[in-house]
Amino acid sequence: MILSAITFLPLIFALILIVWPNARTLRHLALGFSVIEFIVSLAMLSQFDSSTAALQMVERYPWVERFGISYFLGIDGLSLWLVLLTTFLTPIVLLGAWNSIENRVRGFLISMFVLQTAMIGTFLAMDAIFFYFFWELSLVPMYFMIGIWGGQRRIYATVKFFIYTMLGSVLMLVAIIYLMFLTQESLGTMSASLLDFYRLKLPFVGGQFFTLQTLLFFAFALAFSIKVPVFPFHTWLPDAHVEAPTPGSVILAGVMLKMGTYGFLRWTIPLFPEASEYWAWLFMTVGVIGIVYGALVAMVQPDLKKLVAYSSVSHMGYVLLGLFTFNHFGMAGSLYQMLNHGVSTGALFLLVGMIYERTHSREISRYGGLAAVLPLFTIAFFIITLSSIAVPMTNGFIGEFLILLGTYKAENAFAYIAVTGVVLGAVYMLWMFKRIFFGEKGELVKDGHHPLHDLSAREICVLAPMVLMVFWMGLFPNHFLDFAKPSLDHLINDRGNYELAIKGQAFDTKTASLLLAPQSESAAQNEKTGEVQ
Amino acid sequence: MTFNIGVADLIRISPMIVLFLASLIPITIKVLRGNREQSSEATLFQGLGGLAAAAILQMTVYMAVADSQNPMIFANALVIDGVSFWVGMVALIAASVSLLLMHDNPSTNGEQFSELVFLTLSSVLGMLILVSAADLLVLFIGLEMMSLSLYLMIAMSHEQKLSKEAAFKYFILGSFASALFLYGVSFLFGTTGSTYIPEIVQQTGQLINTNRLFLIGMVLVLLGFCFKVSIAPFHAWTPDVYQGAPTPHAALMATAVKAVSFAAFLRIITTKSLVGSENLFNFLQWLAVLTMIIGNVAAIIQNNLKRMLAYSSIAHSGYILVGIITVGVSDRTSFGATSVIFYLIGYSLMTLGAFAVVSLFEKNENSKIQIDDLAGYSKKNPVMAFCLTVFLLSLAGVPPTIGFFGKFYLFTSAIGEGLVWLALWGVLNSVISAYYYLRPIVVMYMKEGEAEDSNMSMGSTRVAVLVSAIFVVLLGVFSGPIYALVEKALL
Repeated sequence: MILSAITFLPLIFALILIVWPNARTLRHLALGFSVIEFIVSLAMLSQFDSSTAALQMVERYPWVERFGISYFLGIDGLSLWLVLLTTFLTPIVLLGAWNSIENRVRGFLISMFVLQTAMIGTFLAMDAIFFYFFWELSLVPMYFMIGIWGGQRRIYATVKFFIYTMLGSVLMLVAIIYLMFLTQESLGTMSASLLDFYRLKLPFVGGQFFTLQTLLFFAFALAFSIKVPVFPFHTWLPDAHVEAPTPGSVILAGVMLKMGTYGFLRWTIPLFPEASEYWAWLFMTVGVIGIVYGALVAMVQPDLKKLVAYSSVSHMGYVLLGLFTFNHFGMAGSLYQMLNHGVSTGALFLLVGMIYERTHSREISRYGGLAAVLPLFTIAFFIITLSSIAVPMTNGFIGEFLILLGTYKAENAFAYIAVTGVVLGAVYMLWMFKRIFFGEKGELVKDGHHPLHDLSAREICVLAPMVLMVFWMGLFPNHFLDFAKPSLDHLINDRGNYELAIKGQAFDTKTASLLLAPQSESAAQNEKTGEVQ
Repeated sequence: MTFNIGVADLIRISPMIVLFLASLIPITIKVLRGNREQSSEATLFQGLGGLAAAAILQMTVYMAVADSQNPMIFANALVIDGVSFWVGMVALIAASVSLLLMHDNPSTNGEQFSELVFLTLSSVLGMLILVSAADLLVLFIGLEMMSLSLYLMIAMSHEQKLSKEAAFKYFILGSFASALFLYGVSFLFGTTGSTYIPEIVQQTGQLINTNRLFLIGMVLVLLGFCFKVSIAPFHAWTPDVYQGAPTPHAALMATAVKAVSFAAFLRIITTKSLVGSENLFNFLQWLAVLTMIIGNVAAIIQNNLKRMLAYSSIAHSGYILVGIITVGVSDRTSFGATSVIFYLIGYSLMTLGAFAVVSLFEKNENSKIQIDDLAGYSKKNPVMAFCLTVFLLSLAGVPPTIGFFGKFYLFTSAIGEGLVWLALWGVLNSVISAYYYLRPIVVMYMKEGEAEDSNMSMGSTRVAVLVSAIFVVLLGVFSGPIYALVEKALL
C-alpha cells in the first residue's frame, strides 16, 4: 500500500486544494501536505530492504486485462533515491516559491501536486503502459507551469517543450505496443509488465540498423534522449528553463530530467543489452559532446539562468557517459550524479530565483560586488557553486569522479575529453561567481533606492537542507549508494540476461509470471482464444 | 404476395418505432395548438424523452436477444448485433447532447424549434436504420433519411448567410456522394446478383481480383462513405459546412453521422475482406495517411475555432480509417472492430464536449468564434475552461483521457496486424495535432483577455459539457471494462 500512497497522495492533496475554501491558507496547507508526503516516503525508506536486488513493496492489480496491462508499482535500488529526491525537493520548492508566485496560487499548487504524482509514478511504475501514462501526464502540469507563471517568451518555450517531448514519447509508445505483441508470442498471453519484457530475448544483428532490437532500442532511446536532454535534442531545455518560474525550473532540472536517465537505466539498457553495448560509442560520444558543448556555451551566457541551464546540459552529459560505461564505477557514478544534479542545480535555480526576486534581473553584467552587500547569500551561493564544479567533500565530486573513473576503465579516450569538462565547469562557474559577487559594485547593487536584503529566515530554511545534503552526500556517499548497490550490481553483472525478481516470490521465470497474473482464469481463456485464432 | 412480419421482428425494431412516434409528438402538438410554439423546455423534454425511451428499449432488446442464433430480421434486411447496438447508442447519446445544445443556441432555439426536434429525431431514426442495415438498399434508405433531415436542419438556422451556403453545399455534394454510392450498388448487384451485404462480402475474395466491374462497384460504394466521414480528398465540404451550420448541428455531424457512417464501413469491410486485394488495401491506406496529414496540417493554420475542430475531425477520420483497414486485414474481427467502436465512443464524447463549449460562446446567431476570443477565459470561468482543456488534451491523445486509450487500442490493433507503418503515421500525426490543440489552451490560460461566454445561463449546455468532461476522464482511466463489453458484444 505504501507505494500507492506515495504515488497518489499528492493527487488527493491536489483535489483537496481545489475545494479548499480559504485562499490565504493555501500555501500553508500545501507545504504541510508536501511535508507529510516526504515523511511517508521516509517511512518507505525505513522499510526498504537494501540487501536484495529484487523488486520490493510490489502492488499489482489488473487494469486492462484484455491487453495484460496492470496497475503495477514496485521499487528497487534504481528508483529509490529518485523518489526520495522528488519528495525532498517538493516542500523546498513550495517554501522557496512562497512569494514568487503571486497570481493563481491555487492553480500553481495543484499543478505542483499533479506533477509530483506523475513524476513518482514514472519512477515506480513497472508496467509499460502505466509508465507511459505517468510519463505523458507529467507534461501537462509542467506545460501549465511554464506557460502561466513563466517569463516573456513563455508560450514559445512551453509549446516547444510539450511538442518536443511528445514527439519522442509517441515512438516509444509504438515500441511498447510492439513489445507487448512479442510477449504474446513468447508467453502466450499479452503483457505490458516490464518483468515480462525483460524475459524477451530479442535477436540482435550488429551493424544493421533496420533490425528488431536496434529499432526498438532507438525508439526508447530517442524518447529518453529528448527528455535528458542529450546533445542534439537539448534546444528545448534552455528555453524552458529560462522561461519557467523558479519552482518550475527546480523541478524540471531536479527531477524531470532524471526521468530520461532513469529511463535509460530501467528500460533501454536492460531491455536491449546487445544494442546498448553496440551503440554505446554513440551515446558516449554525444555525452562527451554534451559535457564540453554545454560548458562552453554556459561560459558565454550573459543571462544567469541560462548559464545554469546550459550547465545542466553539461552535467547530464556526465550521467549519460557514465551509464554507457557498463561498469560499477560509471553506473554508480551516474546514479549518484543524478541525485547530485538534483540537489546542486536545484539549489542554483533557487538561488537565482532569490536574487531575481530582489532585483528583477538575471543579467550577469549588471551585478558585481554582491558579496559585500549580501554575505549570507554569498556563502550559500559559494557552497552550491563548489558542489556544482565538483570540489572534493561536496557531492558533485563523488559523482563526477566515479563517472570519469568508469569511463577511463571502459574507453579511456572519452575520459580524456570528458575531464576537460571538469575544468571548463570550474571556469564558467567561478568566472560567473567572480563577476557577480566581487569586483566593483554593479548598477543593481549600488542602486540606493532599492537596498538589497540578505537572506530571510524562510530562505535560510529553504537553503539549509540543500547545503546539508551537499556535504552529507559528499562525505558519506555510502549512506546512499549502499541502498542502490545490489540493484546496480545485478544490472551490471547480469546485463545480458537481466531479470527482475519480486521480493518474497520464487525466482522462477515461468511460474513467477503465472503466479503474478491475478487473472489466471482469463489468461487461460486468452490462451484458448489464441489457439482458436 | 404475402408478407410475414413476425412479432419478434417488430420487437427488435421497437427502438426505431418509438423514435418515429416520438418525433411526431412536438410537431403534432404544434399543429394542434394552432401553429404556435410550445415552450422550448417542453419541446426539448419531448425530444429527449423520445431519445431516452429509444435508448432504453435498445438496451433491453439487445440484452434480451443478444444470445439468439439469428440476428437477422425482416427477411435479412436488418441485423441487430453488437455494432448496431453500440454505434446506435453513440448516435442516441450524441443526438441527446446536440438537442441540449440546440435548446440553448441562439441560432436554433425559438422559432421552429419543434420542427428542429422532429428533424433531429428522424435523422437519428435514419442513423439507427443505417447501422442495422444488412442490405445495401436499406442502408441507402437510412443514409438518405439521415442526410435529408440534416440538410433541412442546417438550412433552418436563424443565421441568414453562411448556414444557407453550408446547407446548399452539403446538399449538392451529399447528393453527388449518394449518386456515387447508388451507382456502385448497381455494379455490385450486377456482378454478384445480390444487394445483401454478407453475400457480397462473401464473394469479395474471389471477385475483387478477377472482376473489374465488381472492383469499381466496391470502390464507388466506399467512396460514398468516404464522403460522409470526410476522408481526404472528399473532405473539402467539411470545414465550410461545420463552420456555417449551427454549432449543435455541427456537433451532431461530427459525432453521430461520422460514427454511423463508419459502422456502415465496418459492415462492408469485414474480416479479411482486404486480404488478397492489394490495390484496394493500398488505396485505403493512402487515403488514411493523406487524411491524417491534411486534417492536421490544415488545422494548424485555422483561426476560427469551429473550422479548427472541423479539420481535427477530418484528421480523426484518418485515425479511424486505420482501424477499419486493420479490420479488413485481420482474421479476428473483434479486436480491430472493437478498437474502432471504442474510438468512436471516445471521439464522440470529446468532440461533443468541445462543440458544446463553442456553443456556449455564441451570443447571437451570427457569432464567429475565433480562437483568440477565448483569451482569459480561464479566469472568467475556470470550470468550463478546464473542461475544454480536458477535451482538447483528449483529442490530442494525452493520458489520462479516453482519447489516449482510444488511440492506444486503435494503434495496438494496427500493430498487431503488422501495420506498424500506419501506426507510425498515426502517432506522428498526433504530435502535429498537439500543436493546434494546445493553442486554445494557451489562449485561455496564458494570454490576458476578457473572454466571457454567453450572458444567457445556457444551463443545459453547461451540464452537457461537465458530464462529457467527467466521462472523458473516467472512461479513460477505467477503459478496460468498456472495452471488454464492446468486445463481448462483437464476438
